[in-house]
Amino acid sequence: MTREKLLNVIEAVLEKAEVPDVVATLTEERDAAVRFGQNRITQNVDTFERKLRITLGDGERKSVYSTHQIDIGAVPEILDKAMSVMKTASPDPEYMPPVPAGQVYPIVDAWDSLTAEGDPSGRTEAAARAIVTAERKEMEASGLVGMTCSNTAIGTSTGNLAHHRSTVAFMRLTIDRGKASSFRLLNAESWKDLPVDNAIKEVAEEAESDRNQKELEPGEYRLILEPQAVADLIPFVAWSMNARPADEGLTVFSGRQGESVTGGNFTLSSEVNGFLKGNSFNEEGLASMDVVWIDRGRLVNQPCTRYWAEKSGREPLFIPGTLALAGDSGSIEDIIRDTPGKALLFRRFWYIRFVDQKELSLTGMTRDGVFLVENGQIVHPVADFRWNWKPLDLFSRIEKLGTPERIWQLSVPPMVIGSTPL
Amino acid sequence: MIDEMRDLADRIVGQLHHKGIDYGDARVEYTDLENLTFRKQRLAEAELQASQGVGVRVLVKGCWGFASCSGFDSDLIEKTVDRAVSVARAGASVIQGSVRLSEEIPAVGHYDGPCEKNPFEIPRSEKLDLLARAADIMHASPIISMSWSNLRFERKRSAFSSTEGTLVSSDLCFSMPLIMAYAVHNDEMQSRGFQEGARIAGWEWIEQADMISWAEKSREEAIMKVKAPEGPSGVMDLVMDGTHLSLTMHESVGHPTESDRVLGWEASMAGRTFLNIDDQEKLKYGSEIVNFIADNTMPYGVASWGWDDDGVPGQKWYTVKDGIFQQFGSVRETALLVNRKHSRGCCRAMSFSSFPINRQPNFYLEPGKEQITPDDLISEVDKGVYIEGRGSFSIDQRRVNFQFGGDMFWEIRNGKKVQPLKKVIYRSKTRDFWGSCDGISDDRFFKTMGLLTCGKGEPMQAARMTHGASTSRFRNIEVGRGAE
Repeated sequence: MTREKLLNVIEAVLEKAEVPDVVATLTEERDAAVRFGQNRITQNVDTFERKLRITLGDGERKSVYSTHQIDIGAVPEILDKAMSVMKTASPDPEYMPPVPAGQVYPIVDAWDSLTAEGDPSGRTEAAARAIVTAERKEMEASGLVGMTCSNTAIGTSTGNLAHHRSTVAFMRLTIDRGKASSFRLLNAESWKDLPVDNAIKEVAEEAESDRNQKELEPGEYRLILEPQAVADLIPFVAWSMNARPADEGLTVFSGRQGESVTGGNFTLSSEVNGFLKGNSFNEEGLASMDVVWIDRGRLVNQPCTRYWAEKSGREPLFIPGTLALAGDSGSIEDIIRDTPGKALLFRRFWYIRFVDQKELSLTGMTRDGVFLVENGQIVHPVADFRWNWKPLDLFSRIEKLGTPERIWQLSVPPMVIGSTPL
Repeated sequence: MIDEMRDLADRIVGQLHHKGIDYGDARVEYTDLENLTFRKQRLAEAELQASQGVGVRVLVKGCWGFASCSGFDSDLIEKTVDRAVSVARAGASVIQGSVRLSEEIPAVGHYDGPCEKNPFEIPRSEKLDLLARAADIMHASPIISMSWSNLRFERKRSAFSSTEGTLVSSDLCFSMPLIMAYAVHNDEMQSRGFQEGARIAGWEWIEQADMISWAEKSREEAIMKVKAPEGPSGVMDLVMDGTHLSLTMHESVGHPTESDRVLGWEASMAGRTFLNIDDQEKLKYGSEIVNFIADNTMPYGVASWGWDDDGVPGQKWYTVKDGIFQQFGSVRETALLVNRKHSRGCCRAMSFSSFPINRQPNFYLEPGKEQITPDDLISEVDKGVYIEGRGSFSIDQRRVNFQFGGDMFWEIRNGKKVQPLKKVIYRSKTRDFWGSCDGISDDRFFKTMGLLTCGKGEPMQAARMTHGASTSRFRNIEVGRGAE
């Protein structure tokens, strides 16, 4: 649908609803992707979904109704169903009306028409090139290459109306043989900005250099994290930051707003329309904004719902789909070269889970490349192993940060963490 | 509605017959969802969803193409058919296709999952009263800082038709209660909750699950746990109930025995497996008393759909028999590649908009044949831990090196449960762990867990399956404390 048609459906819902409080969202999403594994294409998909989500409230009770049945003529019937839920809901002591009028929605430049309209040949040929490269080296390629485009309109009965659209082109690539492997995740708003061939070449070379792994010898090592490894850890910090669970004593951030939670060289923020492209609004229709969460180690802001913000005297804040960890300068190669003594280089982590949510302690495995580094030189690859770490402890001991890179909706630098017993 | 859905699936396949393809199928789905959630003593969410759409899968010169659309608009469906064919042709134009499906007898039929009391006909006020009572019970103590009480009901109607003549449909109702209490004391937080998850069943499962009793038990045990000492560390014996072992077996038996992993199709995402194709019927997986039975016909199992998304009927087989690995769970595309003539019926898509992939079936650890109680197992442990329910879980991408927590822990000393514990984790390797099993109680103590959110594939899909076990004992396992 065009922007106008999406907004017409939203306006019809707002107009015909017979309750004072309404939020309506209409989303279209198209995903087209080629999946490959064992040097063969295993999936080639092109999916389309259009969904209407309506939140109704009468000042005391509220409910949510979602449907794939969408056209203006069906709006009264859809609203009847939505009303049937609301009428039977119990009163909500935390009831909040829709966001106030006058939201100023940031314009996010996240759409690339050529990517949205691209035919399957580009994706399929990229997968084929990865497969051919791996076959020539007697390795196996696996991964996913594709694009997602989404188109969302939102309206509130308080008078806000907004539209946001975005495209993402991406490639996830693993090349492996036996236990030797490497991995890369590429993404950009535009297909033409994906360095596909370069990534295929690099990943194949890295997989070759991962052969002849040795078991980790117990000892103390500096930890060198490639951007992907940092990106694997950061979401666990972000998920723990919410204000209300912290105030209820459930997370590591309980009572710590304003305090130092990491080292002074750790600054975590969200941006809406910078290097990373976020969403213009959240599902309530609240306008997105740039926020610094941890400023030079100090927890300065926490995501907070509107209800809890009012109750706790905070500002309502949410993560607008992006997280950016400030860096310094230097590539991963520079960082490796400048790291003294014994260190371990990590490309990626896998199957990370909370061990204790209150402590923010995690467990996970290494994957797709661990290397012993001695005095700035890679010595040999190391077999994958399990780790149990507290990320706030790690991020309190950062010795060096490199230039941030984009990993999906995160911007993260490579880093060196001080000596750690393993 | 089912008849209309079957007609639509058949009409789409009729269109496919004229598109010059080698194989094609269509899935038509209509799903109603009701989700009611109390956060603490407040109804935080009352949500209904009506989801409907069509997925079309075709084979052209050995290459798949798949397209889907939401809604049942005939113009959109026609375009979806063309998109499926178009992407399959794009694949066939750049790479030699190699998909070869196992031969299966075309099926025609309909399956109704067990559902005695349709949950969508139970008044919402009754559901909300139940949740409110459960929440009140959990918050009867001020130590309970937070809680979740949730009821989730899903009625999924689907029809599948293929160019080979299969035309099947199903009508399934998934019901899931959830209770979770969080206790905060002396700057510590511990939780406890209901562990048995979802079933293909109606409101009768909610009645049987007894959320009220679980609310009380969760409150008391969360408080007990938060005040308990931390667990011991070292090598010791573990006795674990079925709701705990369900997750251990899911990660260390279910995933490694998926055929797409041994072929490398998940290498970039969910990972591979330590198993090889030649390990079938040879490799020692566990001790001689370890038997894993896969069963997509178990009545309330959440993977018992009648037929899978290849149109292959639900089946029952041994994954591990007398400790020896038997065979992979397969789909039509992988069966021949893992040296089997026929699919085991493990092909599932998350929804109409997902390409179906190889998923775990329902499976369980066969109960012991002799009359053995959990107390009998505990009585022969000098030093160990008794574990119930799910906790932290992590395993490497080849499914060997794992670490698990749990939901409730008790110290075992000199053959008796002596005190509750917190922050217990254990680590092992898959075959060592199942090889250390030396006692399984009988079927009176059999418990299951129905999962709705097993993540796998790219794009990521959530799948559902039920696991189960009777309380069992494992010797000489490495146990640690928290993130030690």
